[in-house]
Amino acid sequence: MEGFFGSLLVSAAFMAALFSMLFYGLYAGSDRKGYAKAADILWYTKGAALLAASAILIFLLVNNRFEYFYVWNYTSLDLETMYLFSAFYGGQEGSFMLWTLFGFLVGTGLIRWTRDPYKGPVMFVMGLTQFFLLSMLLGWDLFGLNIGASPFRTIAQEMPNAPFIQANPDFVPADGTGLNDLLKSPWMMIHPPIIFLGFSMMTVPFAFAIASLWKQDYHDWIRPALPWTLGANLCLLTAIFLGGYWAYETLSFGGYWAWDPVENASFVPWLIGTAGIHMMIVQRSSSRAHKGAIFFAILAYIAIVYQTFLTRSGVLANQSVHSFVDLGLYNQLLMFMLVMLLLGIGFYLYRYKELPSPEKESTILSREFMTFTGGMMLFVMGAVIILGTSSPIIGRLFVENPTPPEIQFYNDWTMPIAIVMAFLTVIGQYLFWKRHDWESLSAALITPLLITSMASILTIILGEVRSLYTMIFIFAAWFTVAGNGAMLIQQILRSPKLIGGSLSHIGFGTLLLGIIASSFYNEVMLDERGENYNRMVEQGEMLDEQGFPVTQKMEIFELSLNQPELINNEYMVTFEGYRLTDSPRPGQQEYRIRFEPVDGGKPFVMTPQVYPMLTSSTSENIEWSVEPDVRTRLFNDIYMYVAGSSYVDQLNSRNENQAGNLSVADQAGGTENGEETTTLELQRQQSREIGPWRFTFQDFRPASTETLPDSTVIGVRSLIEVLHEPSGSAFEMEPLFAVYTENGQSWTYSPPLELSNWGISLRFSSIIPDRDAIELTLNGLSSEAEEEWVVIVAEKKPFVSIVWLGTFLLMGGFSISILRHWSREKSLQK
Amino acid sequence: MKPKLIIGVCSIVLFTSLLMYNFGTSISTYVNFEQAEHQSGAHVVGAWDNSQEYAFSRETMQFSFHMKDQDGNVRRVVYPRPKPNNFEQATQLVVIGEMRNNVFYANEMLMKCPSKYNEPGDAEFVNAEES
Repeated sequence: MEGFFGSLLVSAAFMAALFSMLFYGLYAGSDRKGYAKAADILWYTKGAALLAASAILIFLLVNNRFEYFYVWNYTSLDLETMYLFSAFYGGQEGSFMLWTLFGFLVGTGLIRWTRDPYKGPVMFVMGLTQFFLLSMLLGWDLFGLNIGASPFRTIAQEMPNAPFIQANPDFVPADGTGLNDLLKSPWMMIHPPIIFLGFSMMTVPFAFAIASLWKQDYHDWIRPALPWTLGANLCLLTAIFLGGYWAYETLSFGGYWAWDPVENASFVPWLIGTAGIHMMIVQRSSSRAHKGAIFFAILAYIAIVYQTFLTRSGVLANQSVHSFVDLGLYNQLLMFMLVMLLLGIGFYLYRYKELPSPEKESTILSREFMTFTGGMMLFVMGAVIILGTSSPIIGRLFVENPTPPEIQFYNDWTMPIAIVMAFLTVIGQYLFWKRHDWESLSAALITPLLITSMASILTIILGEVRSLYTMIFIFAAWFTVAGNGAMLIQQILRSPKLIGGSLSHIGFGTLLLGIIASSFYNEVMLDERGENYNRMVEQGEMLDEQGFPVTQKMEIFELSLNQPELINNEYMVTFEGYRLTDSPRPGQQEYRIRFEPVDGGKPFVMTPQVYPMLTSSTSENIEWSVEPDVRTRLFNDIYMYVAGSSYVDQLNSRNENQAGNLSVADQAGGTENGEETTTLELQRQQSREIGPWRFTFQDFRPASTETLPDSTVIGVRSLIEVLHEPSGSAFEMEPLFAVYTENGQSWTYSPPLELSNWGISLRFSSIIPDRDAIELTLNGLSSEAEEEWVVIVAEKKPFVSIVWLGTFLLMGGFSISILRHWSREKSLQK
Repeated sequence: MKPKLIIGVCSIVLFTSLLMYNFGTSISTYVNFEQAEHQSGAHVVGAWDNSQEYAFSRETMQFSFHMKDQDGNVRRVVYPRPKPNNFEQATQLVVIGEMRNNVFYANEMLMKCPSKYNEPGDAEFVNAEES
């Protein structure tokens, strides 16, 4: 029922969006106030319907209404409340809903703040994007043509042909399949809202650019558009940072950036948006570059729609680690993209001849030229990345069935562009605030150049840099930091409000330094065996079974319990055991790895985690996932995860045995599979060790009568403390022993208790009164002590913190610029 | 004006052709094991052959298994890392590496897992009911 209202509300919102768009269009064409009023009312109606539909979806999620496919698919009973909100946008449908919601909020702001002549066309474009986004949520079936996928569809609607639905149409699953474990992270809670806020804000410069083309007023649009673009970029940057941080901290990718299509999907709009910002700044300060500003404002949004198309239509299904579900929205997404492309680029070309162009060319040594070129460089970098991401489409020009490009392709092209940008930022900044000729510019740059040279030489010597390319890169990065830093100091002394630009550029330089340092000095941590192995591989001396040289290096090392190993000649590393924490997920283990620096520094302990993926594991096959531990220090991170352990191994082989021998094991009561039955005699307060286990008989306990058979003569429990020494896991068990009479005969009753995670069962099998002892019978223990080990992947990642620092400086710079441009825009309105 | 324009056009053409050339060489096409013999960085698509032994060896720190490519060729694949988390569940594997003496040395391995969201099987509902 709720679902029906939800769908109805989405449909109402869709119709309202359609009509508000049409009325805004009429208003833009005729300038009659009445149209604007009607359109505004429809806009708010749509917003109310959308909010109500979202509330219903949240209500369904919170109340575990598993008859709804979306609820069943993304939540489960054990999901913590805060992640129920993650589940709201965990799927495609919900994420479109969130995007539409933010678009509505941004549009509502625009209704308030946008003046004529732009209001009509701006809101028309906003309405158009809302129209397309809402169409993805419709779930209409028009003459066999499916439009959109509704988050409110039930399981019966989703899979009408499934046998269990045909047997019982009202079938309601008892529990959902659950949210993907990897998404259960606080970072992943805030990442999607920020990115969709960014996407929505990036619609604003697009709308204003179209409005300027519509109204043929090419000058004033940038005033309101500039702070929105800056805001959109700040959001995208924050989201990219959160995504990178999540990939680094939570996933075992081993890095913060992988050129994955979904990462690129937010990075390219950021690059083009930043290109647009540079053009808008040129236009604002020197009334040039109108063409560039309008073009990039349009392109930034088209990049968003294009990348949305790539990542959500199923085109990239084989290439990305991000699995987006293909909802069959291919045609709709394609329509969305083509309409935006036609509206944006088509309109742009239509008006191209009219667009103002400068009377005379600007000289090379002018702020216009430098800023313009900087913008162009950003655009070129974006274009290269789009090309790479589009390999499944564009790659067909070269080969059939193309693979994604090698990572090297991205690095080879973006790095030189970044170097050029680095030099431009400094010269551009110097020219921006003061006119210079070559001579005065060189004079002004002497101090920064000196600092740069010194810093670069130091870096090159200390970092043992050998390649010329890297040296140039380092020089460029330091030059950006030093040059813009000098500028920053001057600005702080004169007018601190203006530091947005130079601060962002320092951030860019810092980011470059961080990127180069963290990628060039990334070092795999290995024990002596691994190092020797790799040395032999390098010299071609390591041969495989067939006598061919091995080319793959070892990247893992193994530790046995409590046996320190020398790693990288730098640390004595000890595996001190593990703990079954069962938290936050059942079955989770925490490993204790102790590092003692050989040179006498302070020892530290790292605690990587391993846990079963509940959503995809079955009782026969557990899928394990790892949570790396990262030790972050100012200049050096240590990153590690447990790639395998004796505990996981035992559990896996036990599950396989169980799966394979299910019927046998059932009949034989688990005594097959090499497991043995052990009996153990214990006096009070006595302990015995078997393999890794220690059993202590604490005391007798009275047995409550309900649990006993009817005619019991004696019934008693014993309190047994069970300790698994390697993991420090301790349990208390109270097995029962009873003697009862039936048909005149005495019988003993001693039900086994299971130690479920370990596959052990324990029975209180007898009392031996003359020795004041009890007898325990144990099943499933292997008699010999299994060796406890872990396999570890660890890397030293220096200077990752510098990457984060650079990102924060960029964010700071953007924020300051937003405040400056926004407050000026506000004061203009008054 | 004129020479500037010519230089501009030339550099754009040069840049674009270089870029496209490099793009063309940095992508390749998916191949089978036989074609992979003469190629470095070959991408082979296939499925795990579960009839043969597979194991992670703590001796060599390598995971080895057999894979059947899309044309039915079965080869041993050596992967220098532990068995990936969801290996057994994968319906399709992509191994990237090189072929030497009929053994494929994979530097990277991608797994395509059954998308339960697309085709929910009955088994899953059984699980949901049980729990």
